[in-house]
Amino acid sequence: MGNGADVSHRFHLLYLGWWMKVLKTTNQKIALFLIVLSIVYLILSFRLPPFAYVPVDSDVVPISLGFLLLFLSVLLFFKKDRESEEGQSNRAIPKQEILILVAVLLFILLYIFLLERVGFILVTTCFIFVCSWFLGYKKWVINAVVSVLTPILIYYLFTSFLQIELPQGVLPI
Amino acid sequence: MKKMAGALVLTFVLVFTAACSSSSSGSQESDSGEWKPDKPIEIVAPAGPGGGWDTTARMAAKVFEEEGIIQQDIGVINKPGGGGALGWSYIHSKKSPNSLFVSSPPLLLVPLNGQSQYTYEDFTPIANMIADYGAFAVRKDAKWDNLNELFDDMKKDPSSITVIGASSPGSMDHIQFVKVAKKAGVDIKKIKYVSDQDGGALTALLNGSADVYTTGVAETLEQAKAGKIKVLGVTSEERLDGDVVSTFPTAKEQGIDATFVNWRGFFGPPNMDEAALSYYEKKFKELSDSEAWAEIREKYGWKEMYMDHDEYMEFLSKEKDELQKLIDELSLGK
Amino acid sequence: MEALEGLLTGFQIAFSFHGILFVLIGVVVGTLIGMIPGLGPITAIAVMIPVIYGMDPTLALLMMAGVYYGAAYGGAASSILLNAPGVSEAVATTFDGYPMAQQGKAGKALAIAAISSFVGGTVGVILLTFFAPTLAKVAVSFGPPEYFMLMLMGLTAISSLSEGSTIRALISATVGFMFATIGIDAQTGTPRFTFDSPHLTEGIDFLVVALGLFALAEVCSLILNRKERLTDQKNIGSLHLTKKELHEMKGPMGRQSILGFLIGVLPGAGGTIASFLGYLTEKRIAKNSDEFGKGSVKGVAAPETANNGSSTGAFVPLLSLGIPGSGTTAVMLGALIVLGIQPGPMLYQQHPDVFWGVIASMYIGNIFLLILNLPLIPYISKILKIPRPLLISLVIVFCIIGVYGISFNTFDLYLLLGFGVLGYLMRLVSFPAAPFILAFILGGMMEQSLRQSLTISNGSLMIFATRPVALTILILSILSLLFPYFQNRWQKRNRIRQGL
Repeated sequence: MGNGADVSHRFHLLYLGWWMKVLKTTNQKIALFLIVLSIVYLILSFRLPPFAYVPVDSDVVPISLGFLLLFLSVLLFFKKDRESEEGQSNRAIPKQEILILVAVLLFILLYIFLLERVGFILVTTCFIFVCSWFLGYKKWVINAVVSVLTPILIYYLFTSFLQIELPQGVLPI
Repeated sequence: MKKMAGALVLTFVLVFTAACSSSSSGSQESDSGEWKPDKPIEIVAPAGPGGGWDTTARMAAKVFEEEGIIQQDIGVINKPGGGGALGWSYIHSKKSPNSLFVSSPPLLLVPLNGQSQYTYEDFTPIANMIADYGAFAVRKDAKWDNLNELFDDMKKDPSSITVIGASSPGSMDHIQFVKVAKKAGVDIKKIKYVSDQDGGALTALLNGSADVYTTGVAETLEQAKAGKIKVLGVTSEERLDGDVVSTFPTAKEQGIDATFVNWRGFFGPPNMDEAALSYYEKKFKELSDSEAWAEIREKYGWKEMYMDHDEYMEFLSKEKDELQKLIDELSLGK
Repeated sequence: MEALEGLLTGFQIAFSFHGILFVLIGVVVGTLIGMIPGLGPITAIAVMIPVIYGMDPTLALLMMAGVYYGAAYGGAASSILLNAPGVSEAVATTFDGYPMAQQGKAGKALAIAAISSFVGGTVGVILLTFFAPTLAKVAVSFGPPEYFMLMLMGLTAISSLSEGSTIRALISATVGFMFATIGIDAQTGTPRFTFDSPHLTEGIDFLVVALGLFALAEVCSLILNRKERLTDQKNIGSLHLTKKELHEMKGPMGRQSILGFLIGVLPGAGGTIASFLGYLTEKRIAKNSDEFGKGSVKGVAAPETANNGSSTGAFVPLLSLGIPGSGTTAVMLGALIVLGIQPGPMLYQQHPDVFWGVIASMYIGNIFLLILNLPLIPYISKILKIPRPLLISLVIVFCIIGVYGISFNTFDLYLLLGFGVLGYLMRLVSFPAAPFILAFILGGMMEQSLRQSLTISNGSLMIFATRPVALTILILSILSLLFPYFQNRWQKRNRIRQGL
């Protein structure tokens, strides 16, 4: 990647979109998000039903937390610290890598979705094999052996020895 | 890249087809006409490992298998969450006669508090097995020697007496105390109740942070033996059998006509088939009468309280009405 | 003297062929279970209960002691190797253990953890042997106001976990605390922020947050760096510690074994607070506090010692009062009851043989943990030699099993994924995860003890000032907050003086 800086620059534009122009620093963007969060949390806290029999009701601590976060976010908004270089380089990720990350997250999502429907052994086998391959592990024999044996081993360890049930799914075991 | 994508698609297509062609389930009537489970039975404990529901389920499964009462495999499944609500909705959606669950008063209290859409009426009560009772304890040097003295002081100055229990208002520890106190004429809205879920309730009593500890009989036993606390009253109908326990007076004998049973029994899915129900009823009766189960009861300090389906139904409906009134008066229901 | 006699009898049984065999089985099983994220001592003991049913009580106890210590140590292993703390006690171990492993010193980190666990556990048992009845009084001296102050003291630690920006650390902690308020409120029974979902009424489990923020967030970083290899793989399994390193461990081990034990004695406080406080006190008093968080020897030794000291301390209220002070000891109580042993104030007088049997088994469990695990370290460390892509997939699977194994529903798995994404985003914008998890763990307990106190006092804040223990802790935590400041000034003055 010779033009890493260029790529990351393009990514910034793509990801952060129009409000980049409105808000100058990262701190301000995060602060704005946190302010919204604290207001939503405060609204929910104020709507908690009252309970008559205790001196300090269930809404007191949440309300305090909400105001505290609001206060801290405002401070953050006006804070003009130069972010550490580490923090900045953290965010300079090539676009292609972002796509890989998102793809893995989608794999996990699919894994969770199918776990109880298809069963632990099948889904886990597929997941380990596909995910490892996708991330660049090309020794497919080892990969296949690991992805078949690991789930079977775990399944029997859990269900027979630990007496903890894992989703059996469609396999007739 | 293309090859990889192809493999990907293929795998998931396979998985999906497998998912859709789910295997058939259910049980059949055997040739003799009598119903028998044809698949492994699962007993759901609507809580994590280690608690009361889990122990009861695991011990029942153990005796069923070891004594040969039920030939099928029996697995215990934990479905914790929502104070039981997640386990109940799991069973409700399963509707298989091979899925049972263990439950106790929270099955009535959680829905009354508005935290579960299912109550006992949405399931089939099979049999009750055991019972436990509540106990109210104070420090050894406390000024009260019986419940009436305590309640008299509570009527005079409710803010000076702190009652502590392990669960939140509206749940068992709180309600059992409220039920007895109400019968004694205390204004239950003024009771100062603190809940400590991190295991500090007993220490709070011992070091004077709280004045009264409402809990199960078993939890008070060792401290009472050592003379650190005195049990002012238990919520059973009659005095309990056993060393030291027999010295605990009941609320009833002190002139307060109130009891509270922490019953524990087994339930099946909604509208369980007649044949399956009578099969399980018989098996649980056998379990309750077995020596191995008696030994387990002894070990955990559980009292025998067998009820068959009909008795159980009647009992539960009465319990529910009584609890409903208390919850309404405290306006805890949602 | 009586103590020693009792112990000797206990040792006699333990050093039989059967005794040793069962401790060994216990340690192996415990370590294996503990290494799976999500399965800690609680599950390990709970699943062993049906196994020990009907066994000879002394042998069963030996096995359980092995399981107990093994599981605690196993938790440290997944923290160090995979940044996946399976139990809350092991969170503080990730702070320095994982960086150390990433520097190719996994064997070292595991050895430090094993040795300091051993020291913490053994010092704890020695204290237990001689002072259990006396300490029982300490155990019951804490009421809600004292616990509130203790939690507050734990939260002051946030300032030390800030990694530079205090305001970011405070924001992290506040949001962590907010997540802790989800669920039914214990004092009123009011459901808070549950959106009518039964999945949220019991609150969010610690494990979901910890595995998400730490393990899955790290997985995201690993994915981006998947082509990199560990810089120095040669000595990865080597557990050779230099003299300097051993010397560095001494201080933290000595202090934290005692401090951890004392915190463990308090019912409800437990290993999490002990390990965090252990880490933080050492960081505060260390001369080289900059090294903390980057693979410091002390940073691994302190929480591990404190954790094992405290898990031993938890036996004080259990054995001498029959009060289980933690989830683990509650399950342990169940196991003891199955064996026909009823812990309580009478145990020591009526069944001294049993009492000493339990203690002897703890000594032996500790010793076996050490001699069994040290030789295994080179093999366990090899986990890190697994090619990155495969390792990443396996870590994800283990996180999912860990969460599924305690919640048994997929809702928590989606939450896990959510916290993973949150954790990664927090890294991108330099918000530290440690204050978040600390406030999440302590916040809930802190709120409850605050409100318990105020209910007891009918709303008066004076309850915190009039109770000597609570006031003492408050003063201590204020002092500890000011300590680094004074230390700085003191060092500066020294430097000036030397300069002159």
